[in-house]
Amino acid sequence: MFCLKAAFALYAAATALAFTYLFSKDEKWSLWMLRLMGVGVAFHVASFGFRLALFWQIPENKYFLPINSFFGALSYLSLAVAAVFFVVEGRHRLGILGAFVLPWATIGAGAAVIFADPAIKGLSPALQSYWINIHPMVLMTAYAAFGNAFGVGVALLIQEHQIKSRKPTELCYRLPSIEELDNLNYRIIVFGFPVLTVGIIMGGIWAYNAWGRFWGWDAKETWAFITALIYAGFLHMRFVKGLRGRKAVYVSMIGFASVVFTFIGVNYLSELHGYLSGRG
Amino acid sequence: MKIFRSVRFNIFLGCLIALGSAVGTFLPQIPDAAEKVTAYQVAHPDLHRLFDFFGLFDLYHTWWFMGLLGLMAFDIVVCKLWNKPPDPGIVALPPEMTREAEIEKHLSQKEAALKLKPYQAVLSSALAPAAASQMSKSFLEGEGYHLRPEVSGAAGSSFIATRHRLQRWGSYTAHIALVVILLGALIKGVYGFVEMVPVLEGRSRAMQNKPDWEVYVDKFTIKYYDGTFEPKSFSSVLRVQKGSQVLGEKTIIVNDPLDISGVRFYQASWGAGGMFRSVDLKLGSQILQLPQRTPEKIPGTPFLVTADVMLPNFTVNNGQADSASLDLQNPAVRFTFSVGPHKTSPLWLLKNDPSVCFAEDPDGNLTRAPKPPFSLAAIDPILFSGIQVAYDPGFKVVLTGAVLWLLGMIGTFYLHRRRLWVLVEPAEAGAKVSVGAWSSRGPEEFTKDFDGLMHRLRAQLDARDDFRITQNPLVEVS
Amino acid sequence: MSLILVGLSHKNAPLGVRENLAVLSQAKVFERLREAGASEAVVLSTCNRYELYVCFNGVESKPPSWALNLLEKISGMSLSAHAYQRGGPGAVEHLFSVASGLDSLVVGETEILGQVKDAYEAAVAAKMTGKYSNVLFQRALYVGKKVRNDTGVAVGQTSTASVAVQLAETIFGSLRGSSVLILGAGSMAELTARHLQSHKVAELLISNRTFSRAAGLAGEMKAEAIAWQMFPEALKKVDIVVSSTGSEKPILTADMVRSALEARAGRSLFIIDIAMPRDVEEAAAELDHVYLYRLEDLESIVADNLKNRGGEVRLAQELVAAKAKEFCAWESTLGTGKEASLKHSEAV
Repeated sequence: MFCLKAAFALYAAATALAFTYLFSKDEKWSLWMLRLMGVGVAFHVASFGFRLALFWQIPENKYFLPINSFFGALSYLSLAVAAVFFVVEGRHRLGILGAFVLPWATIGAGAAVIFADPAIKGLSPALQSYWINIHPMVLMTAYAAFGNAFGVGVALLIQEHQIKSRKPTELCYRLPSIEELDNLNYRIIVFGFPVLTVGIIMGGIWAYNAWGRFWGWDAKETWAFITALIYAGFLHMRFVKGLRGRKAVYVSMIGFASVVFTFIGVNYLSELHGYLSGRG
Repeated sequence: MKIFRSVRFNIFLGCLIALGSAVGTFLPQIPDAAEKVTAYQVAHPDLHRLFDFFGLFDLYHTWWFMGLLGLMAFDIVVCKLWNKPPDPGIVALPPEMTREAEIEKHLSQKEAALKLKPYQAVLSSALAPAAASQMSKSFLEGEGYHLRPEVSGAAGSSFIATRHRLQRWGSYTAHIALVVILLGALIKGVYGFVEMVPVLEGRSRAMQNKPDWEVYVDKFTIKYYDGTFEPKSFSSVLRVQKGSQVLGEKTIIVNDPLDISGVRFYQASWGAGGMFRSVDLKLGSQILQLPQRTPEKIPGTPFLVTADVMLPNFTVNNGQADSASLDLQNPAVRFTFSVGPHKTSPLWLLKNDPSVCFAEDPDGNLTRAPKPPFSLAAIDPILFSGIQVAYDPGFKVVLTGAVLWLLGMIGTFYLHRRRLWVLVEPAEAGAKVSVGAWSSRGPEEFTKDFDGLMHRLRAQLDARDDFRITQNPLVEVS
Repeated sequence: MSLILVGLSHKNAPLGVRENLAVLSQAKVFERLREAGASEAVVLSTCNRYELYVCFNGVESKPPSWALNLLEKISGMSLSAHAYQRGGPGAVEHLFSVASGLDSLVVGETEILGQVKDAYEAAVAAKMTGKYSNVLFQRALYVGKKVRNDTGVAVGQTSTASVAVQLAETIFGSLRGSSVLILGAGSMAELTARHLQSHKVAELLISNRTFSRAAGLAGEMKAEAIAWQMFPEALKKVDIVVSSTGSEKPILTADMVRSALEARAGRSLFIIDIAMPRDVEEAAAELDHVYLYRLEDLESIVADNLKNRGGEVRLAQELVAAKAKEFCAWESTLGTGKEASLKHSEAV
């Protein structure tokens, strides 16, 4: 728990540096951001490791990943976002986008630390399946991708607004160009969409093995389906109608809102997927 | 028909389905929570009629929702059949100038034909035209390109090289996959069935959908995590018989069902229905074991005592005894004491709290009674095992659809089709190699790709001049 | 005192007066100067200034007011209310400062250096230069470059053309692979086009009402000329449009842009309207994926950029003053037989 708190603090600090870097040309902010992120990810991985060791003390949990609680899911999600950003940033030096991506990692870790119940529980029998190591991870990876696309989308909206207004500020020259951001947004979604749908289908196969039905219109399933529909709409509008730029970002943002709702809101609705209702 | 061909209409349909299915998540649904639906109907007497009319409490099985899904499947087929395939990277198919005969025709127009390609590069090599052509071919083959036969004429020679041709089918595969998945769901809807068979431990029950199949639960076991009512595991020793013929036998747990030629028996739930083998009543230092509904004489007294009803999770609801759930969280047993024809009021004893005792009047109303001189020491309940029986002949179809979808996704998004048109002409001091290119890849990435490829080709051909890649976006959006 | 200067600039002369001077024939001015006995002179005429430098090398020098009178006579206007006059070291320092872009509307801009060079070359062509003016103007060009290299006045985007290029980069990223359409064949259009070309744009199309002028410019710039009627069609594929025709009415209407957008599949379109009066209908700016910048937008961006660099201007002024002093020192040795040397490579 200490490790996660430390990771959260480091992410928060790195986010602050990312925002500083947004308005200051000094490369050192970006460099320190990257370093803090690195240490943060290391702490986070350590925290994950400790948690796994504790989790596996319950024999039934052996070799399953601790993603059965809201805490575990949030923690994993923020680790995925942070780690992906750390790797991409280390390679491509997209430091400027840190301000748009890191808040998600920070919010994820923060929500886990502050709101979620960290208690380690034994897995309910329905979750004692190798699928728990696959199905949620695949979906969280898609969520992390969509979170990044959302951040890129925000950057695109800012950039678009700046250039459209004819009064660009310094920020305008620091952000990647509209076409680059648009392309990045699209490419992240192109990565995320197949992952999302394959994750949903895996869930269906698991459900068939556990409950005897592939699809049951459970609230979580339904919302994941809605999310997939929205992103499918995004891709089709782009391919067929050439939807790009601001309006494309709006669609991708609606998609992300749906992701967030699927991830958090649905816990209050779902009969089968509620982390919060304790039904597992 | 035209409207079904429009992708816009399909997107609109998608929005409609998304909206419709979202509504269903905010209202209780009969298949999941029938009791909540009833509660809702009581709470909103006017609204529920409207909702009922549109079937909103079983939204996903209404005619209109099924209709929308069906229409979408139909539309996908129509869209894919009639429209030219939308490729990623907003690139439509290259202009159909690709057949060899046409190339021959265009050889005379040389660069004019190549100019129609989205990307072009021109290299001049000191090699003889035939050698340059051969060199380019072996180079491109090394780069993973598939070569089409060469066409040569007086003006030079020309060939086409392609890579990742499968990509073109990715989008078709993915869309067909969706239809296949829906088809699987349809097959399940028509031929499949799902039923819940609760079976008391040690007893059996006949299925509804297969009336001659008898489901036996020979033993049911449940384990809880220490100090909680969170189940650790539960399992049933299951036997299914048709008459005296045993169709299948297995100890089933959640995630590991019994499969009898496609009919699968799942361990879904369990519960205590109020049955028990015996309870232990503690009187002073004495313990009296009472089978259900069997009066026993209390030793040394004229009294007979009967234990008749058990509630697994005792609660007082509107002044009457009730059970909050089927879990054995707070079990209570009703006892009646009698001497000859005289009976006392029934008394409820709680296993978890010996100090609590309720007396029940003939109308079933409870009153708190003083702590009695006896207590409920133990219960040996008979649990029922909830067996979900499902037959889904469509699942294999759905699985096929899923695999197709995966392939389609990989094809559409992770493969990038490339097509090169190579024209080799004799030039003053050797050969001129013109390359036109098209790719399903985004222009930014493909420019880089093509740039690198041409640099390597340039080195291979030992070409003198530099080349310039020009983009002709008009071709891309044609 | 061998150099005199009379000038009118954006700082104190109204546009109308400057425009009237700008249309004066340079040949006529030179002719009148020769008649009046001046053999060395340079006319610097830009959108923002009109300056007449007259050198008297070896002949009796005249006061600056002489040049003003001459100019008034030629133009038939009274200029004294708007004009500034300098002589000797003051005139030298002014020329250096102009060449350094310190006197420009947009401080530090680089176009003026080219314009000074053009003005000097025009004078050379008209055989209106001599040893003094040759050294003076070459020195001015050198100082102009040096100031931009050594101080921060020219760091970043100090010209409208480079701001335009930078904006194009914030829209498209690298301009490699972008295609550009130039409407009109004027000098500003050409300048912007050259800037874009130096960023390796893939394709440059030039369209002009008079096709031959488009073809001429296209020939100079390795570009492709297209017929005027074809330019709305070209809008479908280009990424950047630079418009600077002399048309009274907008030549690029919002409807044209709208219909081109349908074929563009959502790619951005950057339109730079540097014409006065406007070439592009303002309503086009409202369209999605269209980014319309007018000359004043570019200029105000430049002005904002420069505002942040006040300190650099002071540094540049010091450098200009030092260089002017150095030049005057050289000037005073002229004719003494012991001419001081002015090496371009020397350190300050």
